Amino acid sequence: MAHCCLIVDRSAMVRRVAARIVRELDFEITEAQTGREALDSCAAQVPHVVLLDWKSADMEAQGFIESLRDLASRQGVSMPTVLFCTAERSVDRIVAALKAGADEYIMKPFDSDIITAKFALAGLLSRDRTCAAA
Amino acid sequence: MRGGLSLRPTYYEALRRLTLQLAGVQMGSDHAFLVETRLSQLARKEGYETLDAMIEDLFAVGQARLAVHVVSALVERDTHFNRDPASLDALFDTALPDLVEKRGGGRIDLLSYGCGSGQDLYSIAIRARHAAARAMLAPVDLHLKGVDYPSQALERARTGRYTHFEIQRGLSARDMIAHFTPDPVADSTDWLAAAHLRETVKFQDMHLLSGTQEAEAFHVVLFRGAIGQYGHAARIRVIRTLAKLLRPHGYLVTGSDEDLGEIHPGLEKVESAPGLYRRRVVQQEPAPVIGKPPPGRTTFEPPVARRAHG
Repeated sequence: MAHCCLIVDRSAMVRRVAARIVRELDFEITEAQTGREALDSCAAQVPHVVLLDWKSADMEAQGFIESLRDLASRQGVSMPTVLFCTAERSVDRIVAALKAGADEYIMKPFDSDIITAKFALAGLLSRDRTCAAA
Repeated sequence: MRGGLSLRPTYYEALRRLTLQLAGVQMGSDHAFLVETRLSQLARKEGYETLDAMIEDLFAVGQARLAVHVVSALVERDTHFNRDPASLDALFDTALPDLVEKRGGGRIDLLSYGCGSGQDLYSIAIRARHAAARAMLAPVDLHLKGVDYPSQALERARTGRYTHFEIQRGLSARDMIAHFTPDPVADSTDWLAAAHLRETVKFQDMHLLSGTQEAEAFHVVLFRGAIGQYGHAARIRVIRTLAKLLRPHGYLVTGSDEDLGEIHPGLEKVESAPGLYRRRVVQQEPAPVIGKPPPGRTTFEPPVARRAHG
């Protein structure tokens, strides 16, 4: 069964590029433009991975991750792996993201090598996960 | 400008021969694109108007320094942080604990042979700090040294400067912010190795095929992912050099899917640790037999034993 990855980004172009790369890693893709839309999508089905541009999330990183954790526990599934993916490269922001609960942090622009490397670091490339609510 | 490959075909042939002669590396025919992009960069840095001008100069004037720079740009391999983790596991789970135990702590010298842009060595420095923090490895005085042909890659290793793309390949965000800092220069997206990391590593240029003249020896020699690009003769030469660089009980770390085959003078494979070889302690490296064996030697008894008879 395929693994699920939710890509959250305001830019359709970024979503398209990211989706193409992540699909290559054998994930099924869902997309959202904003944090609100992402949480709505998660309310229906919590994915395994969330690739999140936090600027698009229109809410604080901390708040988003807490809502996500609530949804996961309500559905009785494990918390998704959250990878932040933003153009922000200041150390303070990266520290804040990791503190808020992000598993990994990707600085834009990215390429397939970076996404693959970060997925590997987050332990996502071992083939033992299946879609929670599929 | 990118329309087609601009360099004359005879130059490719000449570059291929030069690379084999100088570095022992067999360049594939698919290297055409690599030749163009890498050498164009080098030509700009060396102050040539065009790539052709540099290549013409190279073959017409025959500058040794330029030849080395051209060849090292051609043989540079694309690498990233924490490449081939299984072989790093072999280093940290098998080789280093064994050396620490045998030596009762103290200084351990590690050499990265063909270190390129240095990610291997920095990855090891970071991993050693993690291991020490988790007290999995006794406090060990790990000295890390990288050698390679003089090149831009080696320069980058020395300065510990990595691009936005390089820094995100294989390095976790936590390690990145703990051991690197963003380049403070406006508009730069490079990251720089922090002082605490840089002071544990040292880089030096060296002609890999000629080996080292110094009488230096190491407890660990790292040579990962490169053996495949050497021709047969160069391969034997390189492995011989590596074995000589090892101290007794020393380890050679190759790629986890690499096998030296039959050519490993004085080295034995460590089972259960992929890519790891140990220097044989008792057996001396046999001298290469050229032509007939020396007269009077009919057995393999060491000379000392024979003197005892006479």
